[in-house]
Amino acid sequence: MCENCGCSEQTQKKSIYLPEVATLKRKFQMTSVDSFFEFELKNRPLGHQPGQFAEISIPGIGEAPISISSSPSQDNKFQMVIRNVGTLTNAVHTMEPGELVGIRGPYGTSFPMNNLKGKSLLFVTGGIGLVPARSAILYALEHRKEYKDVAILFGCKDPSQRLFTDEIEEWKKRDDIIFHESVDRATGYDWKGNVGVITTLLPKVEKSINPKETYAIIVGPPVMYKYVIMGLHDMEFADDHIIVSLERRMKCGVGKCGHCQMDNKYVCQDGPVFYYDEIKHLKEAI
Amino acid sequence: MEISKISKNDFKSFIDQKIKKHESRTVGVVKKGSQFVFADLESADDMQLDYDVTILPPKKYFQPQREVLLKFVPKKADSYVPVDDCEPIAIIGVHAYDLAALYLMDKAFSEGERDEHYMKKRENSLLIGLYPTKYFKYRFSRSVTREEGRKVADVMLVSIGENYVVEILTEKGKKYMEGANLKKNDYSAKDIEDAKNSVKDDQKIPIPIELIPEYLAKNHDHPVWEHFGDKCFSCGSCVLVCPTCYCFDVKEEVELTLLEGKRVREWDGCMLEEFAVVADGHNFRAQRGSRFRHRIFRKGKNLPEKFGHFGCVGCGRCADSCTADIAGPVKVLNYMEENK
Repeated sequence: MCENCGCSEQTQKKSIYLPEVATLKRKFQMTSVDSFFEFELKNRPLGHQPGQFAEISIPGIGEAPISISSSPSQDNKFQMVIRNVGTLTNAVHTMEPGELVGIRGPYGTSFPMNNLKGKSLLFVTGGIGLVPARSAILYALEHRKEYKDVAILFGCKDPSQRLFTDEIEEWKKRDDIIFHESVDRATGYDWKGNVGVITTLLPKVEKSINPKETYAIIVGPPVMYKYVIMGLHDMEFADDHIIVSLERRMKCGVGKCGHCQMDNKYVCQDGPVFYYDEIKHLKEAI
Repeated sequence: MEISKISKNDFKSFIDQKIKKHESRTVGVVKKGSQFVFADLESADDMQLDYDVTILPPKKYFQPQREVLLKFVPKKADSYVPVDDCEPIAIIGVHAYDLAALYLMDKAFSEGERDEHYMKKRENSLLIGLYPTKYFKYRFSRSVTREEGRKVADVMLVSIGENYVVEILTEKGKKYMEGANLKKNDYSAKDIEDAKNSVKDDQKIPIPIELIPEYLAKNHDHPVWEHFGDKCFSCGSCVLVCPTCYCFDVKEEVELTLLEGKRVREWDGCMLEEFAVVADGHNFRAQRGSRFRHRIFRKGKNLPEKFGHFGCVGCGRCADSCTADIAGPVKVLNYMEENK
């Protein structure tokens, strides 16, 4: 409430920093540090597009930007996978279904799923990069007939870091998608799959993919982009056929606070999803 | 625009009445040791209108160093309530370059997602501007501003001898000045123009501001960034005194009783080491040179590209506050020109 002039409640609600309330419906642990969360907004669907993010708040703890992992759906539920790396994410991990969080968003640009219809898709995902990419993967699978080939590559540090393992098993079984995964290191694990960094998976799809009609979607840790893009260039992908989702510190989500700025782009509004040819000249991009 | 004049003594008495009536907060420039600051006026006797520069710009009244955005009850996610500060405020004697900076700040907080916390304070403000009357050795505002301050000022004062020429620019300004002993202006247009330009800048940007975005783009890898970055203490003084810096951090504060909490916005700065660190600890601007470059790029390229306006108003505060004596944009651009 305004302490000085008693301005109307209507005006009060205009604050771009005011969170809405969402209820935690479901959660389960995925790795030692990552857990899956399903939230439900009280009065509306989140209305996000694949690749967007939202700010999560716990009063007294703080706020943090988190990628949305579910496909856009009609009801008020949405999913996130949250890595326990800070005070806010730590507090979210201690929550139980029925508890409330604050939500602002969705924010940012999205994977251009409509423009990609009629084309083939190659997802190249590293670690928790699979989380935002999954929103586009699920969308593509829900609308499978509208896309040509769909290939998914997933790499992570070691077998204990694998995410969405049940879904991965489903993806492996499907004959209308290509799925390959790899781990950087398997020592000490019972792992019979590929070992090597994510780029070692590119040759596995090279023959079956026509770069002229395929769009590559890359999401992963900062170090990954350069090498994957080099690999895609070797496969003759054009820069306007490469789509990246970039991580920055999206503190406010509304293009004000400055933390996510990358050259002249605010990643929270101009991104996080960019066509590579739109940002390749930006020195701070990758 | 209505133009008139008022004697300096009459203006002072007029402000004194305003302070006593207390229809709004009245803020002006006051002495602090050998320097000047914007502060609430208790008496017009304290008001300084002949000053070189203030330590901090008047930005602090619209984006305070510390500002409560929301209140809440800890752990109750449905308890968030926005907090606004809508107290009317009149700020007297704001130099033209600081007004130009507010013109830019207004763009930053009103364009795209509108920030009501800032905008409400601005809407409740009245600005009486002033063309500088005293030299400041680091100032270079004439080479980077073009009277943008007049777009936000309600009244502009031009000091000539024992009088101020009073230019009333808005209805709000006209209303505020009601009751002042305004007299018919008898100074010529040339006299007024000369008075506006009576204080010269020693420093100037060596490149026309329109060309700077492209100039910087071409010089992304210039040795200047590392050369000056190596000398930088990452103290953040340059960005904390800047009238056009508006980056912020948001923190959560809980009362000791644990019954009430506040979400607080505080000034932050891209020259501080932690500014671009993400959750897993990766720092997108870990090198001092890259932070130094970012600050200059933001003023000279990124903000102009976003708002169609150069991002620095030439107040010289950054140069003045910098321990390593490297922060001034004039110094940076001169070095680049000398080391092409």
